[in-house]
Amino acid sequence: MQVFHDVAGRIESRPLLDWKAQGKPIVGYTCSYLPAEVFHAAGILPVRLRGIETDGMDIGDVYFGPFICSFPKCLLQLVGKGKYRFLDGAVITPGCDSMRRLDECWRKAGKDYEGVLPGFYYYFDVPHKAEGHGLQWFVAEIEYLIAEVEDYFGVEITDEKLRASIAEYNKGRRLLEAVESLRTAESPVISGADAFSATIAGAIMPRGEFTEQMAAWLEALEEKPPIDNVQKRVMLIGSISDDLELMRLIESQSGALVVSENLCFGARREGRPVDESGDPVKALADHYLGASICPRMYGKYKQRRALIEQKIEGANVDGVIMQNIRFCDLHGAENALFERDLEALGIPCLRIEREYGPMIDRGRLKLRINAFLERIGRRKRNAG
Amino acid sequence: MRAEAKEYNYDWMMGSILEAAAKLPAGSRKETELTLRYIPHFKYALGTLLDTGPPGVQFLQMLSDYYKNIITAHEQGKKIVATTFCSTPVIFYAMGLVPLTFEVLTAVGAMVWKRGMFEYMDYGCEVGMPETSCSAQRGSLGAYLAGLGENIDLIVCDSPGVCDTNATAFAFAAEYLDKPFFQLNFPSTLGDERSQSYHVEDFKAMIGFLEKQTGEKFAFDRLEAYLKEIEIQDAITADLEDMLLLVPTPIPPIYTLMIYAGRFCFAGHPAYTRVLEQLRDEARRRMAAGIPGLRAGVEKLRVLMCYIDHYTVDMNFYNYLETRGIANTGSILTRNFRDSNTYCQSLEGSCYGIDTSTPEAMLETVAQMNARLPMVRSIRGPYDQHGMWFDECLALARLYNVDCIIYNGTSGCRNTWGMIKPFARDIENQGIPVHIMYDDAFDDRVESWEASRERLDEFFTVRGLL
Repeated sequence: MQVFHDVAGRIESRPLLDWKAQGKPIVGYTCSYLPAEVFHAAGILPVRLRGIETDGMDIGDVYFGPFICSFPKCLLQLVGKGKYRFLDGAVITPGCDSMRRLDECWRKAGKDYEGVLPGFYYYFDVPHKAEGHGLQWFVAEIEYLIAEVEDYFGVEITDEKLRASIAEYNKGRRLLEAVESLRTAESPVISGADAFSATIAGAIMPRGEFTEQMAAWLEALEEKPPIDNVQKRVMLIGSISDDLELMRLIESQSGALVVSENLCFGARREGRPVDESGDPVKALADHYLGASICPRMYGKYKQRRALIEQKIEGANVDGVIMQNIRFCDLHGAENALFERDLEALGIPCLRIEREYGPMIDRGRLKLRINAFLERIGRRKRNAG
Repeated sequence: MRAEAKEYNYDWMMGSILEAAAKLPAGSRKETELTLRYIPHFKYALGTLLDTGPPGVQFLQMLSDYYKNIITAHEQGKKIVATTFCSTPVIFYAMGLVPLTFEVLTAVGAMVWKRGMFEYMDYGCEVGMPETSCSAQRGSLGAYLAGLGENIDLIVCDSPGVCDTNATAFAFAAEYLDKPFFQLNFPSTLGDERSQSYHVEDFKAMIGFLEKQTGEKFAFDRLEAYLKEIEIQDAITADLEDMLLLVPTPIPPIYTLMIYAGRFCFAGHPAYTRVLEQLRDEARRRMAAGIPGLRAGVEKLRVLMCYIDHYTVDMNFYNYLETRGIANTGSILTRNFRDSNTYCQSLEGSCYGIDTSTPEAMLETVAQMNARLPMVRSIRGPYDQHGMWFDECLALARLYNVDCIIYNGTSGCRNTWGMIKPFARDIENQGIPVHIMYDDAFDDRVESWEASRERLDEFFTVRGLL
């Protein structure tokens, strides 16, 4: 378990440095739409890029304007500071407008700061439709990506290799599903912070090592007693967050446990196992685009709400904390709709706006979360 | 929102104001002057339009007609489709629908009202839209979310892939108002076979959606008539573009607003053709008489607005350009990117042609036309990619021989705020000064016009341009 916290808690973690020490390439990517299996099949370590450890914005603010989400700014800040010099490649995806503009800002920063732009730098286009011509477009995008990776790194990515990588990733997905069932159980044995650190680590560690560690952790969990005094079962949803401190802040409040989440660094990113039969590229496209539940896929609010409701019911959630990073309209607007509809169902909701990166507004968040948990507690007492 | 703001149907109110304004020039000069005294908050904007003569009067009539269509749509048995400025209304007219474009209505409100659209913008936030969302939609949308406008029947947007905040506003409205929703979306490239094909497939899907919502089969003969009218409109626009090349240009700064607002409201409709004819005839008259487009009488400077204009109260921006002697060569909204335009010669793949020979050709035409509207055309991909924002601005700046480029947008625009700084640096490296305005085109509360004006003056002075 500790390895997951170590990996989730810092950028240059031990497994990543070990991989690099072996002379093997690492490619960073920015969004959950990228099929990491493509890189795994090429013997490349795909690493989800993060903005933790940011201690200023003097570089990010030079390239981005003022009305932009702090996540890509933090990424660019770290890029400029040389924190990602270990990357052999980077893939930018248009998850949202702020993130897609990281493409140009990073390239321009690469001209100002020597060595911060990796040799392999790729823009991976993702449509906003998961059916018909949208899906076809995405299939072609994966094929182009494969061709570019093969060409640049001098590797061959065969269907057999892709199938093997899908199978390896699926092992991890099944183990994460098992973790999810333990955390959502009536008497959970794991905290939200532990579960979240594992899912984050899954996007960073070499997949084989991740699978081994997950299996070992699950085995150890069989002996673990349930967590004491779980009085308020909370769900966390909203904008991109890989911030363990936010999870810990919620769980540091008396009796609160994050028993479920719907975050793109969380369990949602892995989703259900990818189809291992048939064309592997089509299977990856179906999984990464077709099963997408991110608000960038417009017009699918009802499906997303149904999923949230299903998770609420499955984890017996008492209340939902909805966070959005300032300037994240995608989640900001959708959180308002969730709040309207879930409150109508009698599910308490808290909407908070925050910045990505160091928890500079910890006090404010703590105060609001505390008040929300009090509301849940009062409601449960009245009901009981 | 104040209780009194909820007393009036917003569409009826704005429609009535514009209808009365359009009738004003029919009276005597004395009547007009007296009326202006009774409308202290609208008189400057109205005066600015009336000062342009017949084009301004025709433009007011067109806006009045636009509102009349919305207000009477249901009486006529037509459905109202809420849509966005970067989506051509042609397809909706051909389907017998009445398009209602949030951004146009917000701009009209911002120019007409003393308080602009602030209360309606804030109402959008009251019901859950982020305060950081784009003011262009949030203004008029606020009225519809509050139930103060005509009942919207369906919602179509074409901004996914280009503008999250725009698309989010429409998706939010669809859920909040519980309306059928369709999105066209755009890949990050333009002009290549793959993206061209994507546009057509997307458009076919949209027609299927519209047929389902209206219960009617798409009528290609109606589309053909609209496209033929666009042929006429594009030819007139190309004439105006040519006159914009002249130094001094006979085109007044506000003409560009009338060119694009008309296209957003009535592309393919004779109401827009009448406005364009007036604009062209007046510009030709000025050209023949050697009269510059600027009231100042001297053209001291030429600017290119690389994004959008400034719309808040009283049309201050256009009057500012007039008084400083600055010719406005247009914004990202102005140009139609029809292949017959001079500027298309250096922007391969960015333009479209019209072919009405077969239904398939018409469909291809309207899909490609739609894909070349503002925003969806040149800020869909990395700004320095072939044919995108940098190429386009540089080509236009050189062709129109501008002295500087000015960026003005909204604080909700993640897309352009995400790269305006490196973009400006790249343009400056080409020897063209760039000024970034930190205001909001539709919301004076972000930065007052007076502050924006000071900063513009400072820029022109410091850079030695004026």
